[in-house]
Amino acid sequence: MNKKIGVYVCECGPNIPERIDIDKVIEELSSMDEVKTVKKHSLLCSNDGKKFLKEDIEKEELSHVVVAACSPKDHENTFMKVCEEAGVNPYLFQLVNIREQCAWMIPDKDEATSKAIKYIKAGIQRVMFHDALKKKELEINVDVLVIGGGISGIEASLSLAGPNRKVYLVEKTDALGGMAGKLSRILPHQGTEMGIVKEKIEQVKNNEHIKVYTSSEVKEVRGFLGNFEAVIKSTQENEEGTEEEIKTGAVVLATGFDLFDLKENPVYGYSENENVVSALEFEDMIHSEKIELKNGKKPKSVALIHCAGRKEKGYCSKVCCMYNLKFAHYLKDNLPDVEVKELYMDLCLPHKQDQSYFDKLKDKGVEFIRMDELVKTKKSGDKIEVEYRNNDKKDKFSVDMVVTSPAMVPSKGTSHLAELMNLPLDESGFFKELHEMLNPVATPMEGVYITGCALGPRNIPESITQSHATSGKILSSLIPGRKVKPEVKVSEIKEDLCTGCQTCLSVCFYGAISYDAFKGVSVVNEAICRGCGSCVGSCPSGAIRSKHFTYYQLYLEVLEALR
Amino acid sequence: MNNNQKETKSNPKKGKTLPAEKSIKDAVLNIFKKALADNIVDAVLIPAKVPDTDAYSWILLQDESLFDIADPLPPVMNVQGGRALSSFSKNGELDLKIAALMRPCEVRAAVELLKLHQVDLDNVTLVSIDCPGAMPLRDYMNDPKKINDSFKKISEQWEISESLRPACQNCHRFSLMDGTGSDLHIGLLGENKKVTLISNSSTGRDVMDKLGFEPKDSLDKWKATKEKLVKEKSKKRESFLKEWQEKIKKTDGFFNELNKCINCHNCMNACPICYCQQCYFDSQTINFKPETYLQKSKEKGALRFPLNTLLFHVGRMSHMVLSCVACGACEDACPVSVPVGRLFSMVGDQTQKEFDYIPGLNREDALPLQDFKKDEFCEVETPNECEEKVTEEAK
Repeated sequence: MNKKIGVYVCECGPNIPERIDIDKVIEELSSMDEVKTVKKHSLLCSNDGKKFLKEDIEKEELSHVVVAACSPKDHENTFMKVCEEAGVNPYLFQLVNIREQCAWMIPDKDEATSKAIKYIKAGIQRVMFHDALKKKELEINVDVLVIGGGISGIEASLSLAGPNRKVYLVEKTDALGGMAGKLSRILPHQGTEMGIVKEKIEQVKNNEHIKVYTSSEVKEVRGFLGNFEAVIKSTQENEEGTEEEIKTGAVVLATGFDLFDLKENPVYGYSENENVVSALEFEDMIHSEKIELKNGKKPKSVALIHCAGRKEKGYCSKVCCMYNLKFAHYLKDNLPDVEVKELYMDLCLPHKQDQSYFDKLKDKGVEFIRMDELVKTKKSGDKIEVEYRNNDKKDKFSVDMVVTSPAMVPSKGTSHLAELMNLPLDESGFFKELHEMLNPVATPMEGVYITGCALGPRNIPESITQSHATSGKILSSLIPGRKVKPEVKVSEIKEDLCTGCQTCLSVCFYGAISYDAFKGVSVVNEAICRGCGSCVGSCPSGAIRSKHFTYYQLYLEVLEALR
Repeated sequence: MNNNQKETKSNPKKGKTLPAEKSIKDAVLNIFKKALADNIVDAVLIPAKVPDTDAYSWILLQDESLFDIADPLPPVMNVQGGRALSSFSKNGELDLKIAALMRPCEVRAAVELLKLHQVDLDNVTLVSIDCPGAMPLRDYMNDPKKINDSFKKISEQWEISESLRPACQNCHRFSLMDGTGSDLHIGLLGENKKVTLISNSSTGRDVMDKLGFEPKDSLDKWKATKEKLVKEKSKKRESFLKEWQEKIKKTDGFFNELNKCINCHNCMNACPICYCQQCYFDSQTINFKPETYLQKSKEKGALRFPLNTLLFHVGRMSHMVLSCVACGACEDACPVSVPVGRLFSMVGDQTQKEFDYIPGLNREDALPLQDFKKDEFCEVETPNECEEKVTEEAK
């Protein structure tokens, strides 16, 4: 086939002609044998520009197209689409960036112009050796893997599972429910009993579209939206190590949180004093309706200490204030004579009914003490002496019992999972959302979503809202019958050159390469490969080729640019 | 990696001294004969003299009667042992138990090839031997008798002779190293008319137990003699490195040494680490249309052929020099006496130091370019801040 190359130079409004002599560019390029036509346009990415481009490609019966304009990040896809509409394979197209790399870079017009000419010539050399790659359609998998069986994971599973969509719910402990399941009761304006969590666990168990894996962990996850492969490994005693491979279309991370270890800082007196208890231990007391000191007597005075670990961790855990208020209400309602002091750094009462809940406590005679720092908690006879500092003033009081509310910290496996899935963490070690405000449940990995406390401290309603948001994202993208067109600019391995040294496996960010022990060669999974080219660079044998970025194409491009 | 080394470092305290009244060769071969006869191993990979010729080769020996032709320490290293081992153990697992007797540099090459998945060592007992060096292949081919005689003298006296291959003259890793390379080692130094069998791994210990060799003999004398010689040879190596660093200080100096090259690629074919099925430089990828070359020649005034001579060496170097065990096989194979082994050994010395990496020392050490250590990041980050952070995290 005779090559008929068309070159289109976009002015990008005033951006390019201010610095580049476009007429000179056109004159220089017109003399090239391979070039059938060179034209300019004021704004090729506009509707008018796209129409002009399409019609001109058709009129000139071009085989290859080069557009000299902006960064490929801006409009490569735009112009590839136009080529396709005009009947030219979109991969027989090259975008040359003469805006960011020439016009905006070089103040001298002559220099900028000559660099632009070199770049466009390099693009022309390259495009002649492009392969007409073809996109394949791939049926999407609509099933979902949910990691974490707390309230967030449960809610996401329930809203996703249905006749057309299976959910695989993986929980590392032996039971569903997570931290919310350990609470004695939730706040009164959110319902009195913890029946809700139990009810939801029942719903999950009875849902035939949800497959629950307790005492299990996810060993491997790789892929992208509509096409994930994961390995679930059992940690249960008698089936330890059993693995199951599943395929899903999306992954939801609902790995929740752990609690700050009170033993980390001696000021909380947690390990020295048996009547200093953590909030979760106090929940158990409420649950068994036995608020007692270790000697079996009822406490006459209780201090509720907020903000344990806030200084150490550097963030507010947001939910502790409200459950401390809940404790105070419970104490006052059940042990009417008990004296309750709440010691806090800042109060966080953000929701519409929180304020009145707090106000009622004042009526019940609960004392609120503001502190800058807890100085120490120490045993003094049968009592516990609590010393604190507010501004420059130190003060202390004695109580029978201390309930300390530890901060929420990332759950234990978070960093491991982040590494496994190449996801970023924030400075506190929680998962990082793609955009805190605009895209709060998405991640940089398309098809991987995060919900609940895996992203940082939040309460149950917020977690549930996020799980619904996650489900919404997934339901609107993983529609049964929809097809995805995976990247075709992928790597391919020439088997007769591959020595099976497996260097490529160690550099593949996406886990797209596996080793075929029978053939003794590495194999690329084209559905997972994103075409980044790391393996190409790492292969000592030159056995890997990146389609659309072949050695030959790059060599010719560079040779021309340096000529 | 440093932690790793500490954990895996083996430090054999005792060995088994065996008499060598007739000859060292016989004493060494007897160990393997016994291992084969007692079915401790199913085959032995060992150098051998091809009958009725002066040539040496490797044999994978299963018939005991063929031990006659085996020679544990031939005067030349015709084919690198790592390469010999790879040639039959590369594709899949070995079903038979094999003992392989090699020079220390060959064992190191085998360990590097293990990391590159080019050998299978699961069923292999790697046996190294104190190595007096080897003679240049070409000298030997010119006059086998004369070289045999002088090699005999050199190996008896452990002389750092100038008639040895340059790689061997400058080699300070001729004996067992503090690492997890060999399973067994045969010590020749220190004792007269005796050889010492030393286990260096659980596999090695197991073989010794089965052979009925209880390690109860002191290694003090062997160690002392070895250390003295290591010191002497390290000094020689230092002066070689210094001399050559000076010689090729500038790029020109480096290229001048390679200018004699005739592009035969023998060095690549002899190198145990060069394991590609087809070298990039032997492929069609870099063959262009005539006009490309005419254009280049026009631009430069003239173009030298064959093409890519220097690029070949630099490319090969960048690929394998971190794993270069300085065995000198490349230089031995060069028909036009390019000091290619010395160049690679010298560059290897510096690049390997950058990564605190000694190729072939430990089986567990990851290849430097496949491994990422946090403190390496400091070299590209703001160094002070980064180092503080890394040390803090380490605490």
